[in-house]
Amino acid sequence: MQAVNASDVVGLFAALEHTFATQREFLIALDGKVGDSDLGITMSKSFAAAHATVAAETALPVGKLLGKAGLAIAKAAPSTMGTLTATGFMRGGKALEAAAAIGTAEMAAFWRAYRDGVQERGKAKLGDKTVLDVLDPIAVSLEGSAAAGEPLGAALAKATKAAEAALEATKLLVAQHGKAAAFQEKSRGLQDAGATVACFIITTMSTFVNAA
Amino acid sequence: MKKFLNDPKDFVDEMLEGIYAAHPAVTYTNDDKRCYVTAHPKKGKVGIATGGGSGHLPLFLGYVGDGMLDGCAVGGVFQSPSSDQMYEVTKYIDQGAGVLYIYGNYTGDIINFDMAAEMADVDGIRVRSVVGNDDAASSIVGEEHKRRGVAGIFFVYKAAGAAAAEGLDLDEVTRLADKARLNTRTLGVALTSCVVPEVGHATFSLGDDDMEIGMGIHGEPGISRRKLEPADAVVDEMMERIFKEQDYGTAGEVAVLVNGLGGTPREELYILFRRVSQLFAARNVKVKHVWIGEFATAMEMAGASISVLKLDAELDRLMAAPAHTPFFTHVGR
Repeated sequence: MQAVNASDVVGLFAALEHTFATQREFLIALDGKVGDSDLGITMSKSFAAAHATVAAETALPVGKLLGKAGLAIAKAAPSTMGTLTATGFMRGGKALEAAAAIGTAEMAAFWRAYRDGVQERGKAKLGDKTVLDVLDPIAVSLEGSAAAGEPLGAALAKATKAAEAALEATKLLVAQHGKAAAFQEKSRGLQDAGATVACFIITTMSTFVNAA
Repeated sequence: MKKFLNDPKDFVDEMLEGIYAAHPAVTYTNDDKRCYVTAHPKKGKVGIATGGGSGHLPLFLGYVGDGMLDGCAVGGVFQSPSSDQMYEVTKYIDQGAGVLYIYGNYTGDIINFDMAAEMADVDGIRVRSVVGNDDAASSIVGEEHKRRGVAGIFFVYKAAGAAAAEGLDLDEVTRLADKARLNTRTLGVALTSCVVPEVGHATFSLGDDDMEIGMGIHGEPGISRRKLEPADAVVDEMMERIFKEQDYGTAGEVAVLVNGLGGTPREELYILFRRVSQLFAARNVKVKHVWIGEFATAMEMAGASISVLKLDAELDRLMAAPAHTPFFTHVGR
């Protein structure tokens, strides 16, 4: 598809719900190594709630729908990652308030706002081994694609590659935030769990747009 | 620990059940007892929400009522309520004119109220925030943004509540609340610790003869711990710090709140106010409004705080306005 319209959003969230239901056990195991193992549960609950919410909302513009999805995630998952993901969708949705559909430029604006919102709320810096280390390359990649006038499908595929490389790179970092920070050197070698979530989101978006 | 409890984990919810049974003027929303709201929201009025941990009655929920606040998200003892609870309170009390959050400067409350404001924004509800930071002992001059919110938040509630009751808009109510915040200073002194029910023992220990000046309402460290002195000397030291921060001029006017922390009798609070009134008289400053009693407690902690609000004409008008809640009544003039 060339652009994600309001009518496509429910399909996108069905795909996200499916992704996080499928990856639930993987995320529980990953988070369990240095966290409290609740990430798989929180994220599957989050996107189930977000899907149900956008499915129930009709006749809202695309930005509002994404904001409502964020609101649903905030209510469903009051954990750190739930709150950060909710903030990302609410900020991203607000950035698209005036948009009729999501093309490459709007997708870049969404992820820029998502990234900045997460940084503001989470107070992490790049290199702290957090979700921000994947969100930043996603936003940068999409902004490059938007400037180059690339179509949405290609732009998302490129952003996904950037996210995967950035996720791999988090293995070299030492955690500075959350429960993982207590593990310090032991966190080295592991990919960051929150960054994994961001990678799943962009991958699912890319697959959804490129399949249609 | 000697406390009237059933199960310590039910402390907050059973307290709330008692309050709802006693006071039909308040109720809860979203089927959650901790989303405490007025039973009679007024169409078109700016809604005012607060929130924070339990263990401080009448703070925070006690100020929900006529001429004061409209809702309060209630947390566990000394714990922040969730952003979702704050958001649900916000939705209920928004009557089309937006909502002002007034709460104390504590990390958990800030994160959750900011998140709630963001959630409300998705629904198109305008939210402003004023964060109470009156505790002059908790950080130096120039770093006021790091100060904790304590009993002086009462003046911020009173100003905002009266302004909203007058029908002023959100920006104006926010301006007046912020003006009250900027003109309020509080100094506290603790004589004993407190006991969190689920913990079951004293939060900290303070020697039998000791006092701690500047201690926070959760037992945060103060600025000076030493032998308890005569009441006048204690007041002199507290007021000296307040006088250093704010110039009340000569022929100025102030409102004073002498607050008991939970375990100190009112008699002693009046002994403290006696000295406060002498100090203001000596400076030719008029104490125009006085409140003495329990306004922000720390469970059974013995001790007191003194809050001073520097008045101007509009703050004077807002302090004088009538108010009525299940925990606070002001007849007005």
